[in-house]
Amino acid sequence: MKHTAPTHDFEPKIIAFVCTWCTYAGADLAGTSRMQYPSNVRVLKFPCTGRIDPVFILKAFQQGADGVLVSGCHPGDCHYIAGNFHARRRFAVFRKLLEFIGVDLKRLQFSWVSAAEGGKWVEVVTDLTVKVRAMGPMTEFKELAMEEQWSGAINTPELQEAYNAI
Amino acid sequence: MSRIGVFICHCGENISRTVDVERVALEVGKLPGVSFSTDYKYMCSDPGQNLLKKAIQEQKLTHIVVAACSPRMHEKTFRKAVEAAGLNPYLCEMANIREHCSWVHENREEATVKATEIVGMMVERVKKNRVLPTITVPVTKRSLVIGGGIAGIQAALDIADCGHEVILVEREPSIGGHMAQLSETFPTLDCSQCIMTPKMVDVANHPKIKLYTYSEIELVEGYIGNFQVTIKKRARSVDEDKCTGCGVCMTKCPQKKIPNKFDQNIGMRTAIYVPFPQAVPNTPVIDRDNCTWYKTGKCGVCQKVCGPGAVDFEQQDKLIVEAVGAIVVATGFDLYSIDEKPKGSPIKGYGEFGHGKIPDVIDGMTFERLASASGPTGGKILRPSDGKEPKQIVFIQCIGSRAREKGISYCSKVCCMYTAKHTMLYHHKVHDGQAYVFFMDARTPGKSYDEFWRRSIEEEEAVYIRGMVSRLYQKGDKIVVMGSDIAVGVQVEIEADMVVLATAVQPQKGAELLAQKLGISYDKYNFYSEAHAKLRPVECATAGIYLAGACQGPKDIPETVSQASAAAAKVMTLFSKDQLEREPIVARVKESGCVGCFACKKVCAYGAVEEKEIRDRQGNLIKTVAFVNPGVCAGCGTCQATCPSKSVELDGYTDEQVIAMIEAL
Amino acid sequence: MPLTSQPIDTSIYSAITDAIKTEAERILTEGQVTAVVGYAAARRKGSAQPIIITEATDAAKLIFTAACVNNLAVYLTKAKKEVPKSGKIGIVVKGCDLKALTGLMGESQLKREDLYLIGVPCAGVLGSTVQPATGLTTDTIAPKCTECDAHLPTGCDFVPLQTPVTPELEQKYATEIARLEALTPAERWAYWKEQFSKCIKCYACRQVCPFCFCEQCLCDRNKPQMVDTTPRPAGNTAWHIVRAMHLAGRCAGCAECERVCPMDIPLNLLNRKMAKELKELYDHEAGFEVLDKGPLNSYTDKDDQSFIK
Repeated sequence: MKHTAPTHDFEPKIIAFVCTWCTYAGADLAGTSRMQYPSNVRVLKFPCTGRIDPVFILKAFQQGADGVLVSGCHPGDCHYIAGNFHARRRFAVFRKLLEFIGVDLKRLQFSWVSAAEGGKWVEVVTDLTVKVRAMGPMTEFKELAMEEQWSGAINTPELQEAYNAI
Repeated sequence: MSRIGVFICHCGENISRTVDVERVALEVGKLPGVSFSTDYKYMCSDPGQNLLKKAIQEQKLTHIVVAACSPRMHEKTFRKAVEAAGLNPYLCEMANIREHCSWVHENREEATVKATEIVGMMVERVKKNRVLPTITVPVTKRSLVIGGGIAGIQAALDIADCGHEVILVEREPSIGGHMAQLSETFPTLDCSQCIMTPKMVDVANHPKIKLYTYSEIELVEGYIGNFQVTIKKRARSVDEDKCTGCGVCMTKCPQKKIPNKFDQNIGMRTAIYVPFPQAVPNTPVIDRDNCTWYKTGKCGVCQKVCGPGAVDFEQQDKLIVEAVGAIVVATGFDLYSIDEKPKGSPIKGYGEFGHGKIPDVIDGMTFERLASASGPTGGKILRPSDGKEPKQIVFIQCIGSRAREKGISYCSKVCCMYTAKHTMLYHHKVHDGQAYVFFMDARTPGKSYDEFWRRSIEEEEAVYIRGMVSRLYQKGDKIVVMGSDIAVGVQVEIEADMVVLATAVQPQKGAELLAQKLGISYDKYNFYSEAHAKLRPVECATAGIYLAGACQGPKDIPETVSQASAAAAKVMTLFSKDQLEREPIVARVKESGCVGCFACKKVCAYGAVEEKEIRDRQGNLIKTVAFVNPGVCAGCGTCQATCPSKSVELDGYTDEQVIAMIEAL
Repeated sequence: MPLTSQPIDTSIYSAITDAIKTEAERILTEGQVTAVVGYAAARRKGSAQPIIITEATDAAKLIFTAACVNNLAVYLTKAKKEVPKSGKIGIVVKGCDLKALTGLMGESQLKREDLYLIGVPCAGVLGSTVQPATGLTTDTIAPKCTECDAHLPTGCDFVPLQTPVTPELEQKYATEIARLEALTPAERWAYWKEQFSKCIKCYACRQVCPFCFCEQCLCDRNKPQMVDTTPRPAGNTAWHIVRAMHLAGRCAGCAECERVCPMDIPLNLLNRKMAKELKELYDHEAGFEVLDKGPLNSYTDKDDQSFIK
């Protein structure tokens, strides 16, 4: 697989929360196989998807992530027996909540990538990057962080200037 | 303030070809807390490691980030080097800029930016790393083996031969299990008892094996290395220390017509009995349900004739507590009684085969007893109904097994082979007889197995009919077997003298109750679950408990013995050190915040979470909180993600570390 | 479905009040319980407030009216310092409150044997306790009561023999959830942004919730700061998301959070949406039985994973 780095107006930040036994190893395999994929993804390693707290996803969006990937072992492959099963329920529910709040779920991808699926890792990361790049920046949470109490308090040029100076 | 050292590896050219390592070193050197940053050709080489060690000492570094290959590759290497330089190894982290960066991106600018960010994240993470001492758990070097069949015997002998004490617990009056019941064994047709009984005697004579027969596990407490097991030793009514095993009591007992379970109830025994002549221990037991003395208070003949005065009608059940460090579960299997519909079980019976109603419809194990030289017929194949020799015999395979609609979907694995063996034994003993086998397909993987099966057809004249039996009924002294031969496409009707059913292999009755006592998991059929189907097939998820034999799933003898020895090897690995050392990546409970909702306990697959009472000085209960046993915790962290107040934290992957990384984005 | 406001029959409440008084007096006199948590008339006409009585003579103070809106379960967890520690506690519960108690039992916060449950057959309570007090009508009834499936609490130690008349009402949350689900993500975001911008982070919703029993809330932590603690839009939004997630599968819809919210944020809407999802995904409904493991503490190998690549 050959990836020529094209230039885009917008390069999204993608954060991947992965388990060490399957997906992290799968990403390692993509490396040892010299597969190419966009450089937008930053990987955070966990022992198990069971360790991944929904708050981390929220935090990632707040910190400016434009897309989030959560990936672990296929059902039945969990190194810790059932961590991925617990994660599956947790995220099935959490994504419904985010959807209801108004987060576009196209920005939040879940996948099973095994240690042997270097190719799948490349595919998942590339797809998400391309998708999010087309969607543009995730502004929702970033805008919230910019806002003062009683939404829209920075409503005069003076205030805006002062705020920008901070 | 932390003094972080960052070391960027070129990995020859593997990293430096696409990542500008000097620039990365320069950039991360500017990060707050980083007091030293450099790049080097091969960090993992000796000079590279020396560079690291020297920098730690000279620069008084407190935390280390090595940006190189995947931590799966060299994390241990660098943590060791860091430890050698006097730092706690868990203060060292690796940033993966090879597999996750230089190898997967070609654009030098992009790769350099990404590498800088990856290192930056790890710098923020390592700031929150804490000193983690290696966890040690004391190990009691004694082991418990549950079940005295071939699996338990093999495991017990292997462990005991390595010089460690073994407690072997068997529910029946004698060890030996199902293998002692078998006549000959496939694929060599050697006599089962000839190879089994020497091993049983070895167990009895082994100075390191303490044998409790007629005993059951009452309670299991503790954890890996430190189990306390309560064993209930049922009253034998015979003093084992006094009994010489002369057997006079058995010859004099007036109750002689009690069906012997060992002979599949076709042979008879007395009320005071040993299940079979080669029993170990050779100490009789009184079956109190059938003994005249216990029923009426009269008789007592056995007591009168016993020279050493070993018969003791007053004997009581005894509870014995043993401390062990490891447990091997080898409780074996049972054959599916197809006429029974167990209550509350999804398994449906097979009333249509007349098992239990037509006396000459027997199961495979009963055939084994008929064929056994020490069996109730002295090795002659005779019909239970009239003692005549069957001239036409029908074997039906897959009874219960592989029948989803009947409740069991798995293959019992041994039936194809033992049925082939049965046809041979039959042909050897009844020269003018004809054996038919109804089968779905023959599954004969295993060394010399397929050859064995072919032999039963080609040399021993068994007729194999591919198809299942639809109906079976008694007609005079014959049993009419109706089925279809799907290979030829015709209906088949055989007037048989005897029918042998290859009934499914199931876990022992009460397997789930034992599992609950042990805290191990089991599947929907009550077979015990291994920790990993491929890579940890003999270990339970519960640390310190190992599996051997058919309690885990249907197995033949060679497989059972292999697994028993493997389980023994696992026990030996545990016993090879005085203390169990483990990586300190375990969950810890912050008791002040814990409200005791025990969500952590509910999601823990290892049973590592216990309930702990917090009391004040007067002994009043303040609250009950969770406690994670570091010897049992596997370090997955599912508890932490589940805990609403985050009062349990996984060392090495704390929220502080994770949030620091996210905030570094 | 009535188009105009219709009165709802609450005539059984006076008989229930009498029955509660008699029963509370009996169990206190006989020493079966050390205290009874119930409702008493408040200062203003037609209002009610929670009360904890420890003397049989105080049993006469107990009432049950349409103004008895509070979920008293909260007094057995967070505010338990006010309730005598030793002995069995009697508690007056509506069907919705009982669900909270059931959930708390499943989470080792309460034991059934420590409680004496006085169940109330309930036709509904008021949505607002703003004065002057009004009668219970199809307009003034609490939104949660429009979807009530527990008018008659079950499994209590004592329930007055009364049958509430419960007219079929428009299911307020279901309607609103369906409306929001039909919007685009951006429209939903705009809706919730508007709602959460009202939040003043008073944490009344947390204080009143029987399931927010943590001694230290994740959202108050600063090492690390998982959720912004400041009462600014970013932190407010995060708080409400975390709150809804933590209540998923546990909240049975007493809607106290929504009632006490001074800024009128439709908090129970989030909770009901989560309940709806858990019902659809795992056929779970909170509060009907004491569960060994909640839906997010358990799994099956056949759980939906259509969203996972």
